[in-house]
Amino acid sequence: MLGAMDYREADRLVTLFTLEHGKLKGVAAGAKRSVRRFAGVCEPFARLRLQIVLREGLSRLQGADLVTVFPGIRRELVKIAHAGYACELTDQFLPEGVSNPRLFRLLVSYLERLDGASFSASDRRFFEINLLKILGYRPALGQCASCGMELTGEEHYRFSAAAGGLLCSCCGRVGPSVSPQTVALLGRALSSGRFGAVTFQPTSLREAGTLLDEAIAGHLVRPLKSLLFLQELGE
Amino acid sequence: MVHNSRSLTKLVGELKKLPGVGEKTALRLAFHLMKSPANVSALAESLLEVRARVRFCSTCFGITENDPCSICTGDRDSSAICVVEESQDLLAIERSGAFHGRYHVLQGALSPLNGVTPAQLRISELMRRIEAGGVREVVLATNFSVEGEATALYLTKLLKPLGIRVTRLAHGIPLGGDLEYIDAATVQRAMEGRSEL
Repeated sequence: MLGAMDYREADRLVTLFTLEHGKLKGVAAGAKRSVRRFAGVCEPFARLRLQIVLREGLSRLQGADLVTVFPGIRRELVKIAHAGYACELTDQFLPEGVSNPRLFRLLVSYLERLDGASFSASDRRFFEINLLKILGYRPALGQCASCGMELTGEEHYRFSAAAGGLLCSCCGRVGPSVSPQTVALLGRALSSGRFGAVTFQPTSLREAGTLLDEAIAGHLVRPLKSLLFLQELGE
Repeated sequence: MVHNSRSLTKLVGELKKLPGVGEKTALRLAFHLMKSPANVSALAESLLEVRARVRFCSTCFGITENDPCSICTGDRDSSAICVVEESQDLLAIERSGAFHGRYHVLQGALSPLNGVTPAQLRISELMRRIEAGGVREVVLATNFSVEGEATALYLTKLLKPLGIRVTRLAHGIPLGGDLEYIDAATVQRAMEGRSEL
């Protein structure tokens, strides 16, 4: 469940990310009244097994079994904020009705990680860089995004969201500076395939954060509401 | 469009704006009102009276006709404040007769996905009430949705350092509930919050 909002008297309008059909929008009719069919399921982040009638526009939820509401996430404000951000980011990037099992697995893994492990700011950046990779928006890290020259990883580079990646010292004079260590960590985050495998130290976390925030903002149509909330928490 | 009556069409249009009222219900209500002129006057009078007299209490932000409200000025335990999301929640707790302290209505809940931040709620007013002194316990009675939980966690973060007792409503199996039909998340919470007999 990527998101849910009240709709009419007792219904909920839901945005779902399904393994088989990708993103769907639907109505859970009577969700606020029917404890039997929808108890606790129309909640953001919840993982469900759905009975759904697929339709053009709004699909219709017939019922849902709860797999988990990720109780560990709901016990910590910072985890709720990050789970909300991950869901909204996924929602914004995904077109409706296009199956994307890799992104589905990435989001589930991130929610499971938030649910079960201590909070780590590195995990957010791991999620973001892999989301960009899966969707084909991966920033160029191995070669200059302007001239194509191979970047050897021995000096600081500049990042340009407009160019789509790092710029060599000849092409990049302005923009956020990125150290070779940060580039290497982002590369490992792309290849390791497992949350917790990469830990960004404070400087690298800051650099990777700036790079990824700019890269993501460059592809979004509107700013994310959940980002406001994260900023409010100082994240 | 109601045939030959612009005013009736307008009334149906207004009624349709109410929650849970669709085209057919609006039409049925409109015809019912037309058939009973006495009810129309009483209804119109009530609507105008509510609009003119009902407001938010400047202390607790619940609905009231007198500011401050009777709960804030009455002989209630002023050392305990129960924090709820909306005025309807205040009424639900009052109906139970289980709480004898005062209230604070946040007029919403934090929502990471809808961008509702603390500044949009009555949180600073709550903090001012507590800083004024005399409050020993704050009962967090926000809903058990993600938004309600986020609000409760945020308030806990603000209130704990002040040395106040912060409590949360219990959460679990409803009275008369059958375990077999309760969802797993609720059973899990009920088990975590089990109490000694």
